[in-house]
Amino acid sequence: MAPSVPLLSATSVTKAYAGVPALSGASLVVAPGEIHALMGENGAGKSTLIKILAGVVAADTAEITVNGERVSIDSTKAAYRLGLRFIHQEFNVVPTLSVAENIFMGRRYPRRAGLLVDWAELNREAQRALDRLGIDHIDPSQNLGALSLGDQMLVRISAALLDDAKLYVMDEPTAALTRDESERLFRVLREIRASGSSVLYVSHRLDEIMALCDKATVLRDGRSIDSGALTNITHDDLVALMIGRKVEEAYPKATAKPRETTVFAASRLATVGLNPVSFSLREGEVLGIAGLSGSGQAELIRSIFGDAKVTAGTMTLSGAPYTPSTPAAAWQSRVAYVPRERRAEGLVMRRPIFENITLAHLKRQSRAGTWLTPNREKRFAAELGANMRLKAVGPAQDVLELSGGNQQKVVFAKAVAGNPRLLLLEEPTRGVDVGAKYDIYSIVRELTAKGAAVILVSSDLPELIGISDRIAVMRQGEITTIVDAAGLREDDLINLCYGRATGMVA
Amino acid sequence: MQLFVRRYGTLIGFVAILVFFSAVLPGTFPTARNWLNITQQVSMLMVVAAGMTIVMVMGDFDLSVGSAASLAGIVAALMMAAGQPIWAAVAVALLVGLLGGAFNGAMVSLVGILPFIATLATMTMFSGLAFVVSGGKTISGRAIPEDFGNFARGGIPLGEWGGVAISLPNLSIIAIVVVLAVWVLLEQTTYGRRLYAIGGNMEAAHLSGIAVKRLRLIAFSLTGLAAAAGGLMYASRVASANPVQGSGLMLNAIAAVFLGTTMSRHGEPRILATVVGVIVLGVLDNGLTQMSVDSYVRQVLVGALILLAVAASSVTQGRR
Repeated sequence: MAPSVPLLSATSVTKAYAGVPALSGASLVVAPGEIHALMGENGAGKSTLIKILAGVVAADTAEITVNGERVSIDSTKAAYRLGLRFIHQEFNVVPTLSVAENIFMGRRYPRRAGLLVDWAELNREAQRALDRLGIDHIDPSQNLGALSLGDQMLVRISAALLDDAKLYVMDEPTAALTRDESERLFRVLREIRASGSSVLYVSHRLDEIMALCDKATVLRDGRSIDSGALTNITHDDLVALMIGRKVEEAYPKATAKPRETTVFAASRLATVGLNPVSFSLREGEVLGIAGLSGSGQAELIRSIFGDAKVTAGTMTLSGAPYTPSTPAAAWQSRVAYVPRERRAEGLVMRRPIFENITLAHLKRQSRAGTWLTPNREKRFAAELGANMRLKAVGPAQDVLELSGGNQQKVVFAKAVAGNPRLLLLEEPTRGVDVGAKYDIYSIVRELTAKGAAVILVSSDLPELIGISDRIAVMRQGEITTIVDAAGLREDDLINLCYGRATGMVA
Repeated sequence: MQLFVRRYGTLIGFVAILVFFSAVLPGTFPTARNWLNITQQVSMLMVVAAGMTIVMVMGDFDLSVGSAASLAGIVAALMMAAGQPIWAAVAVALLVGLLGGAFNGAMVSLVGILPFIATLATMTMFSGLAFVVSGGKTISGRAIPEDFGNFARGGIPLGEWGGVAISLPNLSIIAIVVVLAVWVLLEQTTYGRRLYAIGGNMEAAHLSGIAVKRLRLIAFSLTGLAAAAGGLMYASRVASANPVQGSGLMLNAIAAVFLGTTMSRHGEPRILATVVGVIVLGVLDNGLTQMSVDSYVRQVLVGALILLAVAASSVTQGRR
């Protein structure tokens, strides 16, 4: 292949925040017409590099060229003019405006007589934008806030695809998407590549990257470790590149089999959005919950955690009736919870690590349940943190300053701190890098070895199969089947989620 | 450098103000007597602002503190005028503040009305009640027992300074006690820790097993109690009560807490920072009055200063 001028080249990029280097001489070269993966653990510098390209953060040093011409990106406008489009994890949308208004935000609305907004035309154009992603289930005149997170992401992506840009930068675009939605997105990304534009794709999902991307650049500790085609490299090699050491297994093996004693049982448990379900969990057992998003998983977890009004049925914990009316009662019964959204539901971002960990256990972590004992709390937090390889300056550091994986470890530390009998996990490794994922799975294993039971809700199918002993499949608010995880294939699990016939006996 | 301005800008400004007044008013401003006087002048505001800090830690507001202060003063004065003993009048007035605050808390946490709206409504209600029960009249003179007025005039003698007897005023002592109590509550107890968690992330606090509704209700009750105490101190100081005498307290209390937030790490209210905020306002008032600056001009200056302090702390918090 003849050496061509790269579409985008950023070399010798350095950036330090308050003296702490985030990038130290990273480089990234994207050719025209390719899908390029940007990989690395949380804290490797991916976000900083993207923010520099987007004109949000000013680099300390950087040489950036677009189509061979030296440019400086000093504002988001400059990035836009250069033909760069960004689709972020935390997308900026206005939930109270319609889908069409959100798609056309910052653009000129179609007008009638050059004055009045032509709403019908606006909705038609928005529908055309959605059509490109093959989306027919979203009404453009609907309020964006009424849509699921996945659908909101799809709207956001359609908006970015409206005008033909040179490079689309996507940060974890599939985090909230179902498999079908992801597939549709990938089709469009391939179309973009065929048209000569490029995509810079950031994701923790290696399978996606292997299937979708042509080339990859791996960042570690603010440096580009390697860059090359994805044709002659294995999954394990990539992981080793990212974390700088070999990982034998993605999931730590269970050291003990589930015991016979039942920890938790639900009998015809029901709430709004959850039809009566019955199941039981033994000591040391992990029950995975699979299903399309919105199939009743959240309702099930919230019922067990005392955050939803149980309308029918009963629960028992260690044989005794269990009727939590509040999350406080659940914690009191040693039922712990790792919520789906760590920033919105799990953490008080601007408070120290140790305060976050002891927040659910202040009664025991204080004198007479009233007087704070911060030094004892800090020692307790430091011990727990060290046990789960939490990377932080110390227990008094604000959670805000930690990387995503380490923030999630703080959420886990809070859950584990009370020595739970039952641990409820919702998407425990979303947006968490490979190394931290392994640490988190190890925490789960350690708990089950001590006899705790775990309910794991996850959309990450390999994770469900890798960690669970059994998997309950939920559809339309019901548990349709419970299968053994050992030997289960991903395809079979997907079919079960969709309620399609499979070759296997469930 | 930017960080320095953000954290310490208010303190530096405060020192600059002190230096300025000391230079312009060398004979009267930097004296022990004047400073003890300032502590007495700000004592009512200090108590009300300390109470305000409690709800603002959760990210809430209470606009009704001024009206609650007036109402408490009126209730106590009416009871004393009716021949009830002072302790009973004071107790009932404090109870009125506590219940008024609990009512605010119920509206905010149980009914779910925004604090701004709920306390705006109760501000009018309490004010109206004060007019109704007093018939719109100022209660003063013989109706108020001498002991009640004397309390504010009294103090603990500290000896002589420059040939003048000085003492620590009783009102200042009350303010110090209240500030200490709020400090212990917010900084040393699990209750305070939980309030800060609610202020940081209410949903995460709820899911961590914190009884958000109950704690908010208690916080508003305490703010109401502090407002009533402030109103009683005011009534004692002027040995009279009228239905609008607490009205200036609310804005100044919120301003003092805001001034304080400019000094904390993430802009969260801290009781000791609130104390500095109150003293800044008190010193400005004291110095400008001594310089015979017109009271309306004073208002403009104080308002501008608050804007300056808050602007200096938000400029560096990140551009949007």
